[in-house]
Amino acid sequence: MHQILTRWKSSARLRNSLPFWLILPTVIILLVVQVYPALYTVWLSLQEREPSGWTFVGFKNFERLFGMGVFDESVGHTIVFLVGYVTLTLLAAFFTAFLLSRKIRFSGFYITLLFIPWVIAQIIVGLVFRLLLVPDYGLLSGVFQNPALFPPDGLSVLTAARPQPWFGDFPFPPAPAMILLILASTWRALPFTTLLLLAAIQTVPTEVVESSRVDGANGWQLIKHIMVPLIMPTLVVAIFSLTLSGVNGVGMVFSLTGGGPGTSTHVLSYLLYTIGWSQLRFGRAAALALILAAINWLLISGTMRITREKE
Amino acid sequence: MSDMRIFNLPSRRGWGNFLTHGALILICIFAMLPIATTVLISFKSQQDITRKPPVLFPCDTPTQSFALGACRWAVEGYQRVLAPKPAPDSLFGVSLTGNMVRTYLPNTLLYATVSSLLVVLLAGSSGYAFSRYRFRGHGALMTGILAITGVPLLTNLLALYQMGVKLRNSPFPFDDRVYIIVVYIGFFLPLSVWIAKGFFDAIPRELEEAAQIDGCSPFGGFVRIAMPLAMPGLMAVFLLTFVSVWNEFIAGYLLISKNDYKPAMFGLYDFLGQNIINLQVIAAACILIALPIIILFLFTRRTFFKAMVEGAVKG
Repeated sequence: MHQILTRWKSSARLRNSLPFWLILPTVIILLVVQVYPALYTVWLSLQEREPSGWTFVGFKNFERLFGMGVFDESVGHTIVFLVGYVTLTLLAAFFTAFLLSRKIRFSGFYITLLFIPWVIAQIIVGLVFRLLLVPDYGLLSGVFQNPALFPPDGLSVLTAARPQPWFGDFPFPPAPAMILLILASTWRALPFTTLLLLAAIQTVPTEVVESSRVDGANGWQLIKHIMVPLIMPTLVVAIFSLTLSGVNGVGMVFSLTGGGPGTSTHVLSYLLYTIGWSQLRFGRAAALALILAAINWLLISGTMRITREKE
Repeated sequence: MSDMRIFNLPSRRGWGNFLTHGALILICIFAMLPIATTVLISFKSQQDITRKPPVLFPCDTPTQSFALGACRWAVEGYQRVLAPKPAPDSLFGVSLTGNMVRTYLPNTLLYATVSSLLVVLLAGSSGYAFSRYRFRGHGALMTGILAITGVPLLTNLLALYQMGVKLRNSPFPFDDRVYIIVVYIGFFLPLSVWIAKGFFDAIPRELEEAAQIDGCSPFGGFVRIAMPLAMPGLMAVFLLTFVSVWNEFIAGYLLISKNDYKPAMFGLYDFLGQNIINLQVIAAACILIALPIIILFLFTRRTFFKAMVEGAVKG
C-alpha cells in the first residue's frame, strides 16, 4: 500500500513538473535572444558613448535622430515604398486569387509555379532584378537607356537621380530605383498574399455568389459588393502583414540598390543599418530600432485583434 | 484551406474559362521571367556580358541577328563560382575549390539544419505543454511569446551585435557558429511554438489518456503518442524554419565575425562587390544558392502552404 502511494505521489509530481521542463528551454532561449536584447536596446537608446563609458542622456538620442535630415527623408521613402508596395501587391494578389478561385483545371500547377518566388531569398531577388538593369550591361538597360524611347538621354534605372519633388520635401515622385525596389518586392510578396486571399475567397459560400449572379450582378459588382466585404478581415490582415514585411525587409535594399542612388532608396530599416554599423552611433540606432519595434507591435496587435474577432 | 481543395476541382468550360487560363499563364510568365533571365545570364560568356548595347541571346553572327547554331553558351560563370581543380583521388576527378561551395554553402546548410531541428524540438515540447496542461502563468506565458513575435530581428540586432562583441572578448569559449544558431532559434521559435500548439490542439487527448491508463508515463505519452501524430505539423515548422534561415541575410552578415563561418547569403553579397561587371558569375551564384531551396519547395509544397496559412493566421 505504502509503495503504491509513493509511486502515485511521484507520478503526480512528475506530471506537474513535466510541462515545466518542456517549456523551460524555450523560455531560457527567448529570455537570452529576445527579451534581454530588447531591454538592452531600450537602455541603449537612453545612453551615449563618452570616452569614459556610457552616460545617461535621456531622450537626446531621439531628438538627435529626429533632427537628422536623412531621417525625415527616410520616413518619406518608407511611406512611398509602403504605399506603392502594399497597393500593387494587394491588387495583383486579389486578381490572381480571384482567378485561382474559379473552378479551373491545372490550378495546382499554376499555384506551384507562382509560388517559387516566395522561397527565393530577398538578397537573391534583389540581385536578379539588379542583373536586368545594371548600367550599360543589364539585359533591359539597352531598352531603358535608349534615347529614342526615354528622351533626352535614356534612363539608367539604378543611377538616375530623384525627380524634383512635387510636394515640398516629400520624396514623390520616387526615383526610378525606388520603383524597381517596389516591383521587386511585389514580385516576391505576391505568392504569399495570393494564398492568404485565396483561402479567404474560398470561404465565401458559393450560394451567395450564385444568388447574386441570378439577381443580375456583374463581375465587378460581385467583387465590390460581395467578395470584398466578406473577406475584409483577411484583406486587412494582408495589408498589415505586407506593411510589416515592408518595414522590416532590408536585404533587398542591400543587394538591389545599396540605398542609392544618393539616398533615394534609404528606407528606415536601411537607415538603421547605416546609423548603427556605418556611423557606429549606437544610441541613435537604438532609438530608431525602438521606433521600428513600435510600428511592428501596432501592426501585430491589430492583426491579432482581427483574427480573434474572426474566430 | 486545411483540406487543400484548391488542388483538384472539376473544370468548367467556356470563354470565361479560356480567359482565366490566359491570365493565369501570363501571371506565371511574369513570375518566372526574372528567374529565366538569370539562368540565361548565367550561361553567357564574359564578352557577351559586356557588350553595348546588351543582347538578349548570345546567338548573333556578323550577318544574322539570331542563328541557333552560332550560340555561344558558356559555363564560365559556374566555373568561377565553383573553381574546379583537377584532383585525381576524388570521386569525379575534380574538386571544387570556390569559397561558395567550400565554405559558405556548407555553413548555411549547417545553420539551417541545426537551428530548424532544435526549433522543432523546442517548439514541439513547449507547444505540447501549452496545449495539454493548464498551469499558473499559462496565459501570461503564451501572450508573452506572442508579444515577442512583435519584436523584429532588426531591433534586437543592435543588442545581439554588442553581446557578441562582449562574449568574444570574454574569457568564455565563444563560437560564432553556436551564437548564430542560438540567435536563429530564438528568432524563429515564438511563431513555431504557436503553430505547434495549434497542431497539438487538433490531436484528441483521449489517445494519450488511454496510453497512460495502460501504464505509459506522461512523458512517454508525449514522445510515443502525441509527437508521431503531430509529425506532419512539426515537419511544416521544420521546413519553414529551414527556408527562413537559409535565406536570412542581415543577422548572418553582422553577427558572424570569422570569414570561415559566414553563410552563403553573405558570400553572395561579397560576390557583388568583387564582380561589378561579371554578371554571369553573380547569376551563377544566385542559381546555385536558390536551387536547393526551390527543389525542396517543389517536393514539399503542400506542407509549406499549410504552415504558411497557419503562421499567417496566428500573426
